[in-house]
Amino acid sequence: MSRSRRSKSSFVLTSLTWAIVLLTVFPILWMVFTSLHSNDQIMNGITSFELKKPQWVNYVNMWDTVNFAVYFRNSLLICGVTTVLAGSFAVLAGYALARFEFPGSKVFSMSIISTQLIPGIMFLFPIYLMFLWIRNTFGLPMINTYWGMILVYTAFYTPISIWIMRGFFVSIPRDLEESAAIDGCTKFQAFYKIILPLSVPGIIATGIFIFLTAWDELLFAWVLTTSSDVQTIPVGIRLFVGQYNTRYDLLMAASTVVTLPVMATFFLTQKYFISGMTAGAVKG
Amino acid sequence: MGLQRDTDHRMKGAPGAKVRWTKRVREHKFAYMLVLPTLIFMMMVHLLPMIQGIWMSLLNLNQFTLAKYLKAPFVGLSNYWGLLFDTDNPVRQGLNFAVRNTAIYAVVVTVGVMVMGLLMAILMNRDFPGRGIARTAMLLPWVIPSYVVGVLWGFMWQQNGVINYLLVDVLHLMHDKPFWLMGPNTIWAIIIPTIWRGWPFLMVIFLAGLQTIPDDIYEAATIDGAHKLRQFWHITLPMLKPIIAVQLLFQIINNVYSYNIVSTMFGNGAGYPGEWGDLLMTALTRQSFGYWAFGSGSAASLMLMVAMLMVVGVWYRTFRTELNAQ
Repeated sequence: MSRSRRSKSSFVLTSLTWAIVLLTVFPILWMVFTSLHSNDQIMNGITSFELKKPQWVNYVNMWDTVNFAVYFRNSLLICGVTTVLAGSFAVLAGYALARFEFPGSKVFSMSIISTQLIPGIMFLFPIYLMFLWIRNTFGLPMINTYWGMILVYTAFYTPISIWIMRGFFVSIPRDLEESAAIDGCTKFQAFYKIILPLSVPGIIATGIFIFLTAWDELLFAWVLTTSSDVQTIPVGIRLFVGQYNTRYDLLMAASTVVTLPVMATFFLTQKYFISGMTAGAVKG
Repeated sequence: MGLQRDTDHRMKGAPGAKVRWTKRVREHKFAYMLVLPTLIFMMMVHLLPMIQGIWMSLLNLNQFTLAKYLKAPFVGLSNYWGLLFDTDNPVRQGLNFAVRNTAIYAVVVTVGVMVMGLLMAILMNRDFPGRGIARTAMLLPWVIPSYVVGVLWGFMWQQNGVINYLLVDVLHLMHDKPFWLMGPNTIWAIIIPTIWRGWPFLMVIFLAGLQTIPDDIYEAATIDGAHKLRQFWHITLPMLKPIIAVQLLFQIINNVYSYNIVSTMFGNGAGYPGEWGDLLMTALTRQSFGYWAFGSGSAASLMLMVAMLMVVGVWYRTFRTELNAQ
């Protein structure tokens, strides 16, 4: 009796799990499904879960109607460079915090954590005015430039990345550097030749984290870029929504396309990423 | 949060501590070189703007004085006064709604995400057919860019959209198709997508936490006759408490500062999300740039930050024992 009751409750729980999974995945499936309809069909309301004539042409038109390729390139460039820069800084500083108790290290780690508490707009207004001032005073444009965006993003994503990297370095035993020192390695050599190769999974996890976060950033991109030459996807995607004519077909196709690279990267590196993200959170 | 974990070799209060301090700075040349690039960037894009922001909150910055930048007329605390008490202040317009919505939004999303995340983690921790696929599928919303979440759900919430189709035409739960993006319904239209995108991450964190609880505790409890619900209440929850404490704080901060989903759902900053959809971040950004009122905008962000500091204080007092026990 107990056995059949257990299998019955197990069946209920499994069904519940799959029901939630289905509900969770549904909006994403709906996005892809909608992207294969014509705009007229969408405007009239899609009332069938059957796909009669897939409109693959949406995936061609989305690149022409709006200059989407430019936004895509800008996002890749800004997020890519940011990932490399912020990732490098995080590796260096994270190692310093994990291994050395230097005067000021406590203040440094406290200020890194405190940055997470500051709302973005606290920086938004001053940075916007500071960028205007730099152009007016030195003639160096900052708004509407790649380097302006990269500077801001790099600085923003470095603190939290340091924290993730620090967690990784702490988990590597100290003995490794100690025996390297006995073998005559300098501190830098021990770091570069022994610790760095061991922390590749952590570096990958941190890099993906930075890239995903930068790929997602809207507020600063919205304010600090006004020219389509440097605008990123989150800003550019709104152009499918016109005042009189909203191209939902293309909007959904574009949404699918911008999600794909992120999803692919994530699932290819899922193992590293999840262990990297949870290591700090679970161990505290 | 593990800050104190690194071993401290310092001899506190020993004679000659000062000599040791300068010596220690020299000894750690390597460490300072490692943090130097970060320090430079954080000075430029964190410290400098922060100081400017505090100063700007004391200035009368508008479209006429903008060119003077930090030399704009000094007005003391009047920006703060205006935000709190002057209903004619442009940045103040509709801010009451934004504060109310942000409070509801942050609390409901935080609770929803934590409860759903924990529930899913417990369900996924069991063995069942297709667990690998289910786990991976659950992670999908986490990977969707939040601006896509706003665009996608904004589309699904439409009056002739798929949500109304499912609710009315398929499930017959309602008679008429409601407007989700207008009136009080809007708050749900922004809360639900945020929870949907947020819970996978919590599921991952809780799953990792559940796997650190040794099985023999549960086995011993089963032998003692404790049923599943009791085990959850007396073993699982207390063991997860440190994780819950940390994630609770992160969630509250994130949700109070939430911007992307609402902004893209209502025309990417161009539209007004309405009295029941506007959040603090969308309101402050829109009003400050709309009226070029950066003094008031800075004052408002500073007040928000102080409010959040108090939240952190309350949080720390509440969870002090759990955090120090680690």
